[in-house]
Amino acid sequence: MSPAGFVLRNAMRNKRRLTLTVLSVALSLFLFTMLQTALREMSAPVETEDSALRVITRHRVSLANVLPVRYENRIRQVQGVEAVSKFTWFGGIYQDERNFFPQFAVDPDVIFRIFTEANVDPLQMKAFQSERNAAVVGIKTMERFGWKLGDRITLKGTIWDCNPELVIRAVYRGGIDETNLMFHHDYFDELMGRLGLVGTFWIKVRSPDDVQPVIEAIDRSFRNTEAETKTETERAFQLGFISMFGNIRMLIGSISTVIVFTMILVTASTMSMAIRERMREIAVLKAMGFNGLHVVALILAESFGLALTGGLIGCVGAWLLFSNVDIYKLSQGFFIKFEVTPHMLASGLLLAGLLGVISSLAPAWAAIRMPVVTGLKELD
Amino acid sequence: MLAVIAIVQIRELTRIYQQGDIKVVALDRVSLDIARGDFVALMGPSGSGKSTLLHIIAGIDRPTAGSCRVDGIEVAALSETELAGWRNSHIGFVFQTFNLIPVLTAFENVEMPLLLTGLSAAERRAHVEAAFELVGLADRMDHLPRQLSGGQEQRVAIARALVTDPTLIVADEPTGNLDAKSASDVLGLLEALNRDAGKTIIMVTHDPKAAAHARRTLHLEKGELLKDEEVRR
Repeated sequence: MSPAGFVLRNAMRNKRRLTLTVLSVALSLFLFTMLQTALREMSAPVETEDSALRVITRHRVSLANVLPVRYENRIRQVQGVEAVSKFTWFGGIYQDERNFFPQFAVDPDVIFRIFTEANVDPLQMKAFQSERNAAVVGIKTMERFGWKLGDRITLKGTIWDCNPELVIRAVYRGGIDETNLMFHHDYFDELMGRLGLVGTFWIKVRSPDDVQPVIEAIDRSFRNTEAETKTETERAFQLGFISMFGNIRMLIGSISTVIVFTMILVTASTMSMAIRERMREIAVLKAMGFNGLHVVALILAESFGLALTGGLIGCVGAWLLFSNVDIYKLSQGFFIKFEVTPHMLASGLLLAGLLGVISSLAPAWAAIRMPVVTGLKELD
Repeated sequence: MLAVIAIVQIRELTRIYQQGDIKVVALDRVSLDIARGDFVALMGPSGSGKSTLLHIIAGIDRPTAGSCRVDGIEVAALSETELAGWRNSHIGFVFQTFNLIPVLTAFENVEMPLLLTGLSAAERRAHVEAAFELVGLADRMDHLPRQLSGGQEQRVAIARALVTDPTLIVADEPTGNLDAKSASDVLGLLEALNRDAGKTIIMVTHDPKAAAHARRTLHLEKGELLKDEEVRR
């Protein structure tokens, strides 16, 4: 028998308690991994080679404020700008409030020169561009609602006082987000009575070196006007957009802290019970010649093993589950992808290991301090 | 009487416990020698200090004053870590309630003290099998403690005490939880280990019949050594 074998036998002596504790840790680590993944997906949008060339101009005050449509021409004239499209969040309801998906009014002739990752069949593209109330829809949303080309849908406006009646003429695939619906900004403007307002401008610059000069030039151009602008990279814009949901990082961080604290209590309680029941055996081991370090090592190994087993089940379980489910459907379009990264797996397992160490401290200290004679007297 | 070659030398040994405001004198200036190869029974009523004396000799308790040398080593002068190592190589314990680890087989229980010795698995197996041969339980090595009778459990505990070939075997009421037949077997085994293998044994007991198996009986009362009866066989 090896010391590891002895630790294993000790851990297995109360199978029901072992199972419940491992499952508690596993469930907690599963939730922790899920929350961290959600936080990452929401707060760290992926930056691709194409997206690195995109910048967004919005009202300096907030996203809720709009810009005059006439800014488009001045932006187009800024050196380094390759393409500009109006890009207004419509935020309408399709049949039911639960059927959320992003909808935008855009310039049909330009938008796919900016979103170059998205692929559209040339014939469909032509149909989308030539029909006043045509829409192009990402493949995920098409599949979600079982739509096909030629289908007619109506969006009920919530932010804007109009209800666009659209006909689906094109489907796009590729890019980070395959869930958007886009329709003609002219049609939107017509429905709104030609107010000449735009939510944001999406801009493609010629090269990475042009990004910062373009940002500075645009904002400088509209300084001291009635609608000053804030221009930023796509990544910065998305992070700002997420912050509109509130302090999600703090919320998720708080929940994660509660989970970790609960885990520590559960595991520490289990280890304390397990060691208290075994105090007489520990006294006998010490009488046989096991010193404080040996006893700590045995308790630490048991606690660490228990927590790590739970951690492996929880973290790997989360990774397997989220690798195999359609998170877009499951979250009703809220999450496009939900990737448990190796870094997150490692963080979860590290947390489990730390949990095992922390949980063993109190029982190990009690076991070291217990005089052998006291332990033997407890026995008799 | 002073032994010719004393393996245990105790001088003016005192142990006082503090219980709240009260001082309890468990041992009061006890002096004695125990010879190598002796089999000593410590007798006395409850609270007489016999278990305390055994614990100090075995290095699991420390005296308040006085000296306790085992094989030339002043036990109380060792640090806790040194003492643990010393116990592993010099002391074999036999307890009243056997104290076998329930989740380990008899073989694994006996092997436990050897895990600290640095012996290979094959060497440990050889030592354990030899210990089982000595206690006559070679056919029960793979049994769990709950599958053994009380007498068999105590013989496994004796095998565990023997397996490191210690300087001393200390037994605290080794027959206290056994029926008469099993008690007789265990005492016979201890006697044989002393007689045939030359093991030095110190045994605490209430039972005069058990003490009769020892070569020498020491009586303690209120922490003092009363008389020293020597029984030579």
